[in-house]
Amino acid sequence: MSSVPLSAYLTLAIILFCIGLYGALTKKNTVIVLIAIELMLNAVNINLVAFSKYGMMPSIDGQIFALFAIAVAAAEAAVGLAILIAIYRNRKSVNVDDYNSLKN
Amino acid sequence: MSGEFFIFIVLSLIAIGGGIMMINLTKVVHMVVALVFTFISIAGIYVMLSAEFIAVVQILIYSGAITIMMLFGIMLTRHNDKSETSGGGFRKFLIFLAILGFGLVFYLGIYQLELGEPSTSLHENNTEQIGIALYSKYIIPFELTSVILLVALIGAIVLAKRDDKEGEERE
Amino acid sequence: MMEIAWIIPLFPLFSFLVLLIFGRKWRRGQIDFAVILSLVSFICALLVLFARFTQENVKVEFIWLTIGETQLTAGFEVNQLNALMLVIVSLVSFLVHMYSKAYMEGDERITVFFSYLGLFTFAMLGLVLSPNLLQTYIFWELVGVGSFLLIGFYFYKEEAKVAAKKAFIMTRIGDVGLLIGMILLFWQVGSFEYDEIFAAISAGDLSETMATLTAILIFIGAVGKSGQFPLHSWLPDAMEGPTPVSALIHAATMVAAGVYLVAALYPLFAYSEVAMLTIAIVGGFTAIFAATIGMTQKDIKRALAYSTVSQLGYMMLALGVGGYVAGVFHLTTHAFFKALLFLAAGSVIHAVHTQDIEKMGGLWKKMKWTAPFFLIGTMAISGVPLLSGFFSKEEILVSAWVSGHYLLFTLAIVAAFFTAFYMFRLFFLVFGGEEKKEHSMVKESSNWMTVPMLVLALLAIVAGYIQTPWFGTFLGDWLTTGIAANVHGHLDGPLWVMIVATVVAFLGILLAWLMYSKKVISRDWFTSRAPYTYQLVVNKYYIDEVYQYIFVKGSRFVSQVLHFVEVYLIEGLISLVTITIRQLSMLGSKFQNGQTQLYGTVAFVGLAILIVVFALTGGGL
Repeated sequence: MSSVPLSAYLTLAIILFCIGLYGALTKKNTVIVLIAIELMLNAVNINLVAFSKYGMMPSIDGQIFALFAIAVAAAEAAVGLAILIAIYRNRKSVNVDDYNSLKN
Repeated sequence: MSGEFFIFIVLSLIAIGGGIMMINLTKVVHMVVALVFTFISIAGIYVMLSAEFIAVVQILIYSGAITIMMLFGIMLTRHNDKSETSGGGFRKFLIFLAILGFGLVFYLGIYQLELGEPSTSLHENNTEQIGIALYSKYIIPFELTSVILLVALIGAIVLAKRDDKEGEERE
Repeated sequence: MMEIAWIIPLFPLFSFLVLLIFGRKWRRGQIDFAVILSLVSFICALLVLFARFTQENVKVEFIWLTIGETQLTAGFEVNQLNALMLVIVSLVSFLVHMYSKAYMEGDERITVFFSYLGLFTFAMLGLVLSPNLLQTYIFWELVGVGSFLLIGFYFYKEEAKVAAKKAFIMTRIGDVGLLIGMILLFWQVGSFEYDEIFAAISAGDLSETMATLTAILIFIGAVGKSGQFPLHSWLPDAMEGPTPVSALIHAATMVAAGVYLVAALYPLFAYSEVAMLTIAIVGGFTAIFAATIGMTQKDIKRALAYSTVSQLGYMMLALGVGGYVAGVFHLTTHAFFKALLFLAAGSVIHAVHTQDIEKMGGLWKKMKWTAPFFLIGTMAISGVPLLSGFFSKEEILVSAWVSGHYLLFTLAIVAAFFTAFYMFRLFFLVFGGEEKKEHSMVKESSNWMTVPMLVLALLAIVAGYIQTPWFGTFLGDWLTTGIAANVHGHLDGPLWVMIVATVVAFLGILLAWLMYSKKVISRDWFTSRAPYTYQLVVNKYYIDEVYQYIFVKGSRFVSQVLHFVEVYLIEGLISLVTITIRQLSMLGSKFQNGQTQLYGTVAFVGLAILIVVFALTGGGL
């Protein structure tokens, strides 16, 4: 009935996921890295919702799961930003390259 | 080409275009704004997938809350900073290659994946269905999520609070 | 008394330990203490010797180690040879202790010297008492250590250091032979025990070739210790040590250890004709070879050292031609008169403070005691009739004649002539002639030095009478009872042998007298006629130079080649490895820069590679 196949949604999701991953691994600004991670979460959410409609056993559960994911992502973004600001106060920088305290 | 497919193509292109703009723009604020396009078009995709409630939540949380929060984060730090990519060209190339391989493999995996007949009842009283499921079947995770949000709230405040005592000691 | 013979070496050991620990305090008493201990040791040895006259051999052993089914034992044994050697060693040691008390007077490290003397005496007595090869070997090396320490006693002198090292290394070459021979013998016989080795030989368990091989290998050890050609060159250099040490170690005891070893293992050697011939030839050659060098030496101690080498060659020759008794007899008499000569030489050196015989002269009147003693020693070694050396040397000559090795006999006669000549050359140059001005203040040495010389002089005169063709062959009869090998107590040689020996000795003395005392014959008579030969001899046949060239330069060349290989090949490889590792680890540490993005990148790239590989191989990897 639907003319848009499942694989199209999944392909869109994987493309967005890859863009997010690339951003997360290459961008210098920590805020952008956080946002890129949000994009990756979104791509996953697309998968969840798509499977809730086109999956083996279509049901509302997938959408519920996506809701939880969004809620956790929101919490994560808030905490992440709080950490960012705390670090920024100490280091006076939002550059990921300057955050190398793992080394010591 | 059906209208549904046309809409899907348009939304997808906007989403991907927003992502690519996020990668390529130089100003941090512009990047965040570019991503708003992506978030909104993802909400459109949700509508197409018979998930109206999720779509609304998507717009509320992502396009609204998170984006605004990120913008505040940028402004609280050095908002006029231009974001450069880190690492040398070789590393970027390596990451690009790895992502390309990764994406291709998954594309091969999902290529022409058809799992069965799509559900037809999801769009009927979608919000009601979600509400019923949330408050019956998923009541415990739902409550736990509220705890998580509370912890995140308190945690964010504690982390972001200016530690006066520490600051005085340092000075 | 014989059951407690093990106590004899313990006195010097005790002396060594006490001096080592308390040596720095009250030195005077310490030295007297050491002298007394060596005297006690000598008395015990004497008692053991007397006990041995009437009693049988004693052998006490306990099991030291058990390895599988093999048991290694330790213990001691007293037989005729041992008892005799015990007395010789402890007597000379005691006299040297006494002598050193005066000779080393005023030396800063006199207690150290006496402790070394104690160590050496302990080792030598232990060596003599050992009932098996393993124990012998242990003490053999310990003796070497004592010798090394005493030669290098004046370690602040470069020559002494070099000489000590040389002595140690050259005897080590021999020791390796001894060790290999010992192990081969153990492999063949299954025991280190002298008795069991002899039993295996008489039972014919040892093949002829193996017996020859082991005998020659053990003989190499004896060659190293006894300074036989070609390992002789350390002995003259060892004269860098204090003179009493030369008398004790390098004249009477340690260098005789090689002869003793051959004598102790005599049945093994007697089993193999080739080994016997080897010993005889090496001994005979060494005897004449060293004698010729001895004629040209200008250093009194070195001349005596070459004389020692020559006399040791004599003993080896005697053993090699089957004169077991002759060899041991000469060992005994030689120990006395050569120790006497060294002590007298030490007395002279002590008085005139030089070792160069050209700078001495006219000391006869100045040194009323030393000079006659030296003369007695000289006469004894030259083979003047009625002195000890005459009898023992004659015994050797007879053995050589009877065995039928006429060439060796001739060699021995010529060597005897040379011996008489160079010994009297020494005597005339040192004591005869004009008195030198710088020696006008020379005084006789103290009683502590003359008394030991007196004892030795008496022994040098009378020691020969234990084995003479006229008054009975007591030593020979006694030594040969109960010996497994086929040895004869005394040989009745033709009378003319004795006459020839006497004539030759007197000829040598006459020549020396004419040349150095009367100066009828110019000293340059031979030198000017055969300058090249003289040069050859005076430079000790260039043996040291040859060794220097072959071994030192050779090994230096080899090591330079190896050094080259090491620097450019091995180190190149190694540095290649290290550079590779360093580059790799630098690369690795680059990743450890603390940036989460890089960590994430690495993790993700790894994941991507895994996934791609899995996809390409269809997951079947």
